[in-house]
Amino acid sequence: MFGPWFRNFSIDCNETIPQPVLLGMNLNAPSTDREIKQALVTHRDAGFTMLVVRFQPGIYSGARRLTHGHEDAEEVAQETFLRAYRALGGYDDRRISNLKLSGWLWTIAINLCRDRASGRRRPIAIDTRLAASGADAPPIDAAAWNERLARLSTDQRTAVVLRHVADLSIADISEIVGRPQGTVRADISRGLDHLRDVLAREETP
Amino acid sequence: MIDIEHELANLAEVPPAHLERVTVLAVDAGDQVAMKSSVHGPLWISWSKRGITGLTPTFVDETVDAFIEHHRRAGYDVETLPSALDHDIETALASGVAEGLSFDLRGLSSFQVSVLEACQTIPCGSAQSYGWIASQLGKPGATRAVGTALAKNPIPLLIPCHRVVRSDGSVGSYAFGSDMKRELLVEEGVLLPGM
Repeated sequence: MFGPWFRNFSIDCNETIPQPVLLGMNLNAPSTDREIKQALVTHRDAGFTMLVVRFQPGIYSGARRLTHGHEDAEEVAQETFLRAYRALGGYDDRRISNLKLSGWLWTIAINLCRDRASGRRRPIAIDTRLAASGADAPPIDAAAWNERLARLSTDQRTAVVLRHVADLSIADISEIVGRPQGTVRADISRGLDHLRDVLAREETP
Repeated sequence: MIDIEHELANLAEVPPAHLERVTVLAVDAGDQVAMKSSVHGPLWISWSKRGITGLTPTFVDETVDAFIEHHRRAGYDVETLPSALDHDIETALASGVAEGLSFDLRGLSSFQVSVLEACQTIPCGSAQSYGWIASQLGKPGATRAVGTALAKNPIPLLIPCHRVVRSDGSVGSYAFGSDMKRELLVEEGVLLPGM
């Protein structure tokens, strides 16, 4: 979606056109945190697009498990980045360079998920789509997992989703949810125990 | 027994295709792109909320993906231009006067923007030298830098960099070839010693 903004036009003076900062940057290719932050400092709009390409799918996937349906997840996944963009306008270069991108975005997203989870108590939408689980494995029943996760407390569900769906570290989750790391570990452990119980009951005829 | 952690790790879902586009366009961090027919042949046009951001003939970028890849901002392909924008571009290309059009030059250096703004003051039917632009900017020694800035004009034809020629009266280089530059000047009624 993005690339060098000019070609190597030949010009009268035969000068070599200086390389732009983002020459060769391909938004379709995964960008590292460092590349994104560098772009946010030098070309905020380009950096923002890279941020969306890199992190929006993960935020959407996590929000699908923490809200009531794909509409909520879409809203969260969009609003998270709109708020991030507005926030970036007030950040200086140093603050941007020090951002932990995933944790920063998830802090925004989790608050939006909580608003939606508590504000609208509509039933969890039936999701007939099956998540791909790899070439050889059978598809994963996303709808069933939504229902299982809905049985956990909000804190447990949030911690389990951030750890095992969004693949965040315990330290990052602790910062995002504002709870001590030990508490987060306990939330995850109890959440997984609860899920094992739910699965055991499902398998009992 | 289901492997809980494995299944949770594979619950990733691909977001709807429109989500990235809607998000980026909502904050005006990217542009819409569409093809437009013109007297110069089909053109790729990109635009933001602030104005036109890019123009490239399709003989330079054959596909919309190629245009977007070369564009300085993120671009999203849409079916057609808004009718008012289409009409204003049509009028500007036919008359050589870009009245009513807004240009969005974000992403360019302040010097590049100054060069392109000076270039826009050259009326249809006349031409000026690279040195003239440099003088207009109060930097008479910056002729080479002016040439560099004009070579990177992201909105040729509408920002008339073809009206800037060599001081000896020859047409000089053009992003789309000297022949096209010569033809554009002839169409506008410009006769140079070097022509």
